[in-house]
Amino acid sequence: MFSVKGKDASSVGTREVWRACVDDFIIDLAWSPQGDRLAAVTVDGRVFLSDLSGPPRCLGSHADGAASVAWRSDGKELATGGQDGLIRIWDPATGGATRQLAAGGAWVAKVAYRPRGGELAAAAGKMLRLWDAAGTVVYESADHASTVSDLAWNPDGSGVATTAYLGVTLHVAGRVAPPRKLTWKGSSLALAWSPSSRYIATGEQDSTVHFWHIKTGRDAQMWGFPRKVLELSWHHGGNHLATGGSDTVVLWDCGGKGPEGRTPAMLEGHPTRITQLAFQPRGELLASADAEGSVLWWYPLRGTRPAAGRVFLTEISRLAWDAAGKRVAVGERAGTLTVVEVAP
Amino acid sequence: MSSVANKIPVTVLTGFLGSGKTTLLNRILSDNHGKRIAVIENEFGEVGVDNELVIGAEEEIFEMNNGCICCTVRGDLIRILGNLMKRRDRFDHIMIETTGLADPGPVAQTFFMDDDLQSAMSLDGIVTLVDARHVLDHFDDSAEVREQIAFADVILLNKIDLATAEQLDQLEARIHAMNAAARIYRTRDAAIGMERILGLGGFDLQRALQIDPKFLEPEYPFEWSGAYELEPGEYTFVMGAGPDPAMNACLRRIEAADEPGMRDAVETAVRIYSDTEQPLAPGGAMTPGALLFQLDLAGGPGRFRVLIAERGAYALFTEHHPDEFSAYLADASGDSRQPLATREYKPDHEHDDEVSSVGITTPGDLDLEKFQGWLRELLATKGTDIFRMKGVLSFRNSDRRYVFQGVHMLFDGREDRPWGAETRHNSLIFIGRNLDRAELNAGFDACLA
Repeated sequence: MFSVKGKDASSVGTREVWRACVDDFIIDLAWSPQGDRLAAVTVDGRVFLSDLSGPPRCLGSHADGAASVAWRSDGKELATGGQDGLIRIWDPATGGATRQLAAGGAWVAKVAYRPRGGELAAAAGKMLRLWDAAGTVVYESADHASTVSDLAWNPDGSGVATTAYLGVTLHVAGRVAPPRKLTWKGSSLALAWSPSSRYIATGEQDSTVHFWHIKTGRDAQMWGFPRKVLELSWHHGGNHLATGGSDTVVLWDCGGKGPEGRTPAMLEGHPTRITQLAFQPRGELLASADAEGSVLWWYPLRGTRPAAGRVFLTEISRLAWDAAGKRVAVGERAGTLTVVEVAP
Repeated sequence: MSSVANKIPVTVLTGFLGSGKTTLLNRILSDNHGKRIAVIENEFGEVGVDNELVIGAEEEIFEMNNGCICCTVRGDLIRILGNLMKRRDRFDHIMIETTGLADPGPVAQTFFMDDDLQSAMSLDGIVTLVDARHVLDHFDDSAEVREQIAFADVILLNKIDLATAEQLDQLEARIHAMNAAARIYRTRDAAIGMERILGLGGFDLQRALQIDPKFLEPEYPFEWSGAYELEPGEYTFVMGAGPDPAMNACLRRIEAADEPGMRDAVETAVRIYSDTEQPLAPGGAMTPGALLFQLDLAGGPGRFRVLIAERGAYALFTEHHPDEFSAYLADASGDSRQPLATREYKPDHEHDDEVSSVGITTPGDLDLEKFQGWLRELLATKGTDIFRMKGVLSFRNSDRRYVFQGVHMLFDGREDRPWGAETRHNSLIFIGRNLDRAELNAGFDACLA
């Protein structure tokens, strides 16, 4: 097990402020943009919402399981997607279901609202679909080479990147020309835009990480991971990327000429495989979580020793900072949801 | 690292459309086995049992390139099984039903190539259903049907009510020549005991290698067997002149004088046939037991005594078909005794199947470096043609058995228990396409220390 000794300038305090249990694997969770509410979905399909004053309320469920939850930027709408091929839209004020969008009967791996906008993007089986705020389909991609594994809006809101077998596709709603492809002969599983929209990092089934330079389309491949890499998180400055894929958090310096030829920093302390990684929004702290329930906080740009740690009972399946970067919501395999306040 | 014990076993069902996969699946789901089973269906079947989870899937083949190994995996299964792992407390077993035209290779390779699956699940076995009546129509023009047979741990020769006994015998012999390591069962309406298809440990190194090495020979050493109901007394096996000056035979006591009774004795008979023959001159006596007799004709006809002490059912296994020698069993009064059931083991030699099994069983110790070099070269050049391989090896300077298995170019091996009192030997089997038996034997022999 890790240990945090002494109390130097880099240590931080963590304090539990809320806890609840929904008795099923937390497959996704999301803070409301204002940080006043927390939404979570479980593998068995239930959708939960809480204002952190009491136990979460079950709003409804997806048959065959849920996969993803997202808030609209104004906090007035919540979307969930699941294996029933549906996207459900909820009104967080009343807790009621307001609308259902069809994803074509196929697995919905991910839902995401446009930053500062009302459009919703969803992985609909092998397609990407976009709906406007009224629920009308405004974009539908051609089939990807496989079921879409992940998607993310360009931070500037101009388009959506998707991953699937054979790499990344960059979609722009309304554009007639076919979407741009960043092709890699492998199965891309997860993606993360750098905050400046300069890079996309992808985690691959073949245990590599790719850095795609969007402007030139060039990519650098990082290897040496013992397993597939699903955990990717960018520092707000846009020059550093943290990756999982093993027991060690690896921090890549992507500034200047990029990560090629540079030795990354290794953050060691987890006794087992890392399951979640999240940089503090606009902050310097990195939270990392593992399969046995440990969460560590680091100042990875300053040093390679953890600044704080906390142990939970089961595998951490999901972890998210609130927008203010003050609290972390932790979801566990066993269904426990915990909110921890982090104070430097 | 999870131990094998708490990994969820996964069974893969393959077989052409109409071979009975859905019937079998429904049987598995409705059988009172107490297991909670999740089903991943690749075809719209009619599986409908309330409290089981049934997930639809569409085949997504991914090519993977890891270093020098290229292989294909099933992306849809990585995704769906990955999600099922999050529900692992709720299922005891997972069944994957593939489409009729599916290649089992990528399915098996998926379990070798994805770490998360490998640590949480184990591929328990590949069960292939064969339509006994129609499979012959597909044998020659369908690579898929041959691959489904080659990959199988268990083969159900189904719909036997629609084929003649002779057709079944020929089909079974031909399938056995293609995949000598698979267990073959004859079924009607896919009726089979669950213990014969679930919990096989087919891809578990320890358990996969419990096959008797002598049973690896793809061709049966006998061509015919007949089941008789006999009273105590003396009988005579009457033989005319035939194509050979001698013929091997053995006689076994069996449970009942019918096809299933004879089937139970086949493995023992194969083992007896691998022993040294006991020459028997005309007039000599055969008795039921573990002896292999060489009935010596010395160019002419011969009569051999058969001594039966107890009333019961007996099976006679002969190296050639008795008709080739106009042979028959006669009772004390000289009347011919007709067998109550017969079976032929001779593969239909008109077909030269491209898929076959090569079993190697040899005493002696291997040189590790030589063996590694040979295997590396073999898999690099013939990996796409080798569907499955498994075996137990004896390496010089190691007092432990080395067990291994592979799928195409993927290889998994480790040291096993000490040899102890067991005779050190090497026994392995290759199942694949266009295998060159002589070349494999020579290559392997060159690795002996």
